[in-house]
Amino acid sequence: MRTILLAMLLITGLFAQETDAVQITGDVKQPLTLSAADLAKYPRATVRTTSNGMETVYEGVWLHEVLKKAGVPQGGELRGKALSSYVLAMAQDGYQVLFSLGELDPAFIDNQILLADTANGKPMFGAQGRFRLVVPKDKPGARSVRMLTKIEVVQLRKAQ
Amino acid sequence: MKEAILFVAVTALAADFEWNLPKGFPKPVVPADNPMSAAKVELGRYLFYDKRISVNGKQSCGSCHRQELAFTDGLARAAGTTGELHPRSSMSLVNVAYAPTLTWANPTLTSLEEQALGPLLNTAPVELGLKGREEVFLGELRRDPVYQQLFKKVYPGTANPFTLGNVTKTLAAFERTIISMRSPYDRYRWGGEPDALSPAAKRGELIFFSSERGGCFQCHEGWNFSEIRYEGGHDGPDDRAMTGAFLNTGVSHYAAPNRGIYEFTGQPQDIGKFRAPTLRNIELTAPYMHDGSMATLEDVIAHYAAGGKYPHANQSKVIRPLQLSQQDRRDLIEFLKSLTDRDMLRDPRWSDPWAGKPH
Ligand code: HEC
Ligand code: HEC
Repeated sequence: MRTILLAMLLITGLFAQETDAVQITGDVKQPLTLSAADLAKYPRATVRTTSNGMETVYEGVWLHEVLKKAGVPQGGELRGKALSSYVLAMAQDGYQVLFSLGELDPAFIDNQILLADTANGKPMFGAQGRFRLVVPKDKPGARSVRMLTKIEVVQLRKAQ
Repeated sequence: MKEAILFVAVTALAADFEWNLPKGFPKPVVPADNPMSAAKVELGRYLFYDKRISVNGKQSCGSCHRQELAFTDGLARAAGTTGELHPRSSMSLVNVAYAPTLTWANPTLTSLEEQALGPLLNTAPVELGLKGREEVFLGELRRDPVYQQLFKKVYPGTANPFTLGNVTKTLAAFERTIISMRSPYDRYRWGGEPDALSPAAKRGELIFFSSERGGCFQCHEGWNFSEIRYEGGHDGPDDRAMTGAFLNTGVSHYAAPNRGIYEFTGQPQDIGKFRAPTLRNIELTAPYMHDGSMATLEDVIAHYAAGGKYPHANQSKVIRPLQLSQQDRRDLIEFLKSLTDRDMLRDPRWSDPWAGKPH
């Protein structure tokens, strides 16, 4: 009975509640749990998108800035083994997408990947999630993960 | 000073028609040769509801597009003025100004002006049955004092404004004004009213917008819940590539003439591909789908949860069995109901000007 109750609590927690923090975990020097208040202290950036004629201005922090705080190698340090690392972005509903570290590093490529916490100046909510990614340079929106809860860095080492 | 006066005069002219859209919503595209004006919209409204437009005086556009049903007719398949059944279900005209293509499955039809000729003149089946009677109808308009006044206002200085081309232009101008962006969901999502949705509808929103759970947004996308963007994933910044796409969703056996855009392209891979219509006011537009084959929203959700009713080689990969509990289904329906704009159903701008008047 207790386990059923617990499971139910877990499930409703998973789907019904808005997570108010995003976790940066995995193979990082400094795991982080970031609230909107934490993100507000980081260097801020914006991305403007248009969907069916409706414009949205997302504001947040470039993902590489967040990863820098977590101690993920960047710039000159991003070489050797670090280059086989990937970043898994996970949403509350179980949706997951991948980026490679190189793809996120401005020293490698002029990409734009925003960890957003506001849309048009207001905190995001509901199906947007409290946090989301916005990847304007991707052609489809599939990696612009909504309802973002977790960023996991994984160092991949494949046996020869 | 002179410049300032001129400027005022110009804006006054341009402001003759005001869209009055909520902040952030785009204005519809209007063809250069059919500019909006308040008088034209008003004339369009008279024509839209005028039963003299049909061969036997029994139907107008408004008969199959009824305001109180979000401009649908409540029938599985529409019935024309002489009783002939249309192969498909009537469609809502709400926000039709934003539709990249028109009707259920016609990739070539993009103009409302052109579309209006269909119901007017079609013979297989007959909708309004005006073919061959165009001049008789235009003559009736020319003799009616109401229209004499309205046409003169809209097309001043034209020797003969009573043409079929002008009729379809004014109908199109009227249709473009039927815009709904004020549902509870709009107020919740864009209007800063967190309590405009019930907790059930909020849960339903998460299912609708989750590719893991419901995936509905992948085809009913954007603020009008009607764009097919691409297959897979969450939404994102650039979606123009796929607008106006058509999909096979396993709704029927797709027998002629309901084979979707195949009727136009003749390509076997197009069989069963239909447009994803807007889901705004969907609560009021039953029965559902191109053939009206689903009576209730419960039926629609059951169809999607089963991964489609009639498996087909062309069926979209996005349509697959879903894990939806009874509670999830109720929540999803509550969300769909939050897309209903009740004010629109009674808005006098779109109501029948002939109601209560003999004509
Ligand atoms: C007999 C019923 C009937 C009448 C009368 C009728 N319609 Fe329709 N309407 C339909 C049906 C059925 C469809 C779907 C047609 C299809 O898929 O081929 C439709 C579709 C439409 C659409 C496309 C909507 C969309 O979202 O793409 C528009 C616009 C439209 N009608 C306007 C009109 C106008 C204007 C008139 C009057 C001149 C009119 N209709 C008269 C039944 C009717
Ligand atoms: C793969 C694309 C796709 C997905 C995913 C999808 N739809 Fe649809 N939807 C369509 C198409 C296409 C139609 C029209 C189908 C037809 O009539 O043959 C449609 C029709 C509908 C209709 C009927 C509209 C009307 O005016 O009759 C409803 C309601 C609806 N969908 C709701 C949903 C819900 C809820 C979900 C999620 C569970 C969903 N759809 C997922 C493409 C999709």
